[in-house]
Amino acid sequence: MTKPHVLLLGDVLHARAEWEALSDVATLSVCDSSTKEEFIKDLAGKYSDVAAVYHCHMDDAKPGANINQELLEALPPSLKFICHHGAGYDMIDVNACTRKGILVSNTPGAVDDATADVNMFLVLGALREFNLAMTNLRKGNWNAGVPLSHDPEGKVLGILGMGGIGRALKRRAQGFGMITQYHNRKPLSEEMAAGAKYVSFDELLATSDVISMNLPLNAHTRHIINKEAIAKMKDGVIIVNTARGPVIDEQALVDALESGKVRCAGLDVFEAEPKIHPGLLANEKVILLPHVGTATYETRKKMEITVINNIRSAITGAKLLNVVPEQIHFAP
Amino acid sequence: MTVTKPHILLLGEIRHAKAEWEALSDVATLSVCDSANREQFIKDLKGKYSDVVAVYRTFNSVAITGRFDAELLKEFSPSFKYICHNGAGYDQIDVVPCTEQGVHISNCPSTVDDATADVNMFLILGALRNFNEAMVNLRKGNWNVGVPLSNDPDGKVLGILGMGGIGRALKKRAEAFGMTVQYYNRNELSSELAAGAKYVPFDELLATSDVLSLNLPLNPKTRHIINKEAFDKMKDGIVIVNTARGAVMDEAALVDALASGKVKNVGLDVFEAEPKIHPGLVSNEKVILLPHMGTLTYETQKKMEIQVLDNIRAALTTGKLNTIVPEQAGLQ
Repeated sequence: MTKPHVLLLGDVLHARAEWEALSDVATLSVCDSSTKEEFIKDLAGKYSDVAAVYHCHMDDAKPGANINQELLEALPPSLKFICHHGAGYDMIDVNACTRKGILVSNTPGAVDDATADVNMFLVLGALREFNLAMTNLRKGNWNAGVPLSHDPEGKVLGILGMGGIGRALKRRAQGFGMITQYHNRKPLSEEMAAGAKYVSFDELLATSDVISMNLPLNAHTRHIINKEAIAKMKDGVIIVNTARGPVIDEQALVDALESGKVRCAGLDVFEAEPKIHPGLLANEKVILLPHVGTATYETRKKMEITVINNIRSAITGAKLLNVVPEQIHFAP
Repeated sequence: MTVTKPHILLLGEIRHAKAEWEALSDVATLSVCDSANREQFIKDLKGKYSDVVAVYRTFNSVAITGRFDAELLKEFSPSFKYICHNGAGYDQIDVVPCTEQGVHISNCPSTVDDATADVNMFLILGALRNFNEAMVNLRKGNWNVGVPLSNDPDGKVLGILGMGGIGRALKKRAEAFGMTVQYYNRNELSSELAAGAKYVPFDELLATSDVLSLNLPLNPKTRHIINKEAFDKMKDGIVIVNTARGAVMDEAALVDALASGKVKNVGLDVFEAEPKIHPGLVSNEKVILLPHMGTLTYETQKKMEIQVLDNIRAALTTGKLNTIVPEQAGLQ
């Protein structure tokens, strides 16, 4: 009996042995279509029996980068599983997948620590206004003109989205003496909340000294932080984002930084990345990273292994280990 | 007959606890030093400051008075008893001649711990994760192109050289990121204070730590404690962080070790000849450098100023300092 066909869209860089080991249960192909048009042809040709896809977060221009309605119509009927490398999967139209009977997995858990590390670095960098100090030093001005800033100790950290990353952030923030409150789709069990206070969205905005974005990007959360939301925040609030750029209206953030409503920001993601609002680039106080959330050898390998485990489970057991939340009810 | 109140002298500025300084006038006569330089100060010590009993001195006031060495100390009259220093590090003061003259010194332990440990942890993350290279790349308009993967703190061994208040505050933070902590200290800590950190000999700390943090005071014994010989004993690819005093590390040897790759990256808040920085560091985009920001927050600066003022009040009213420096602990 022929082994099921698994297609890699992207690259496996670290867990190559684990990827090759899948050949005991599957035939492995690496997508070599050079354009989107060629990919659609190949889906009707050499990839027409693919059962599962290992899907990477790729540049928009790459074939298969965006799993949208148009691409889904070209996918073969044999394809039942899309196993995504990444926690955020906003480039996959999950509803359209569901309608086609395709289940999607992502890599929660594996990303939590590395992303929370970036997140805490940005919270400290923004509260303490370290970018201005570092820039001043490199210009040869030492700390001349660098103003005093503020300690994290005793400040209220408001976490918007208390999933794995949000909870990992809370553990770190506590080490710095911060008090954590959160807003989430649903309140967490006491055990998982581990002492963090559940508040309404409006209360989170109004009472947090630092607000951290830790929620997925979808139709409900796009621009959830906009001019109206910022107006409800404390004067001098700090905003940090390691989730997805479009959860914040970047123009509104720039305006708020200019007015001083937002004292400082720490960002690892941007609305139209890699393009960044010039108002942010011109601001020496804000601390900006180029989406390096999980960019470590250890974490990328853990993520790859998670995807590979999901594929193995899909091939051998017809189920995914980490089906995305939207599809939990559809999964066997 | 009225008893004259003791004369106390402010060397430097008080920015936040002005009311508390003025309040000392119930037990003392207050003067603010207006000497233009060390030569004038020595003249004034024979004149208007000749009856000074206690001095409040700041780190920056060294620009006027120079170091508190034997030469300066002998210019003070016999009535001079207390140097209350604003700062944890008091290497600007030569302790031995002070002790010989019966002059007692207080510093600011504990009030500096959290803010300094916050900087310390920021630098550990920045150095392990190569964040400076990423931030510079972004600001140049290159997003994360060419920025290599880095390493997670999770599971790495943090070696703390000097397990005082700051070292212990650092341990708390590092553990929230999944690091394992070991330390070397003048004396082994009680198991309560060590709180699970392993005490190791100095050479073992060098040989087995993935990250080495310098948290010890600068004195004749610790100057250049991290030198070429010490680097040779370390793991290949070690990360080093210094928030103590620049001169505990041989800066030229550090630059060599970075160039050879022995040291993978560094995070520094202090430098041997600050504000001058070794050009080999300034030109290195991987290293993460801050201009001695350790305690520069409103909250911590105020706490420190109050700690100095409390030491002065205690000295004048009880004859004992609250936080006499360790070398003089037996004198009270």
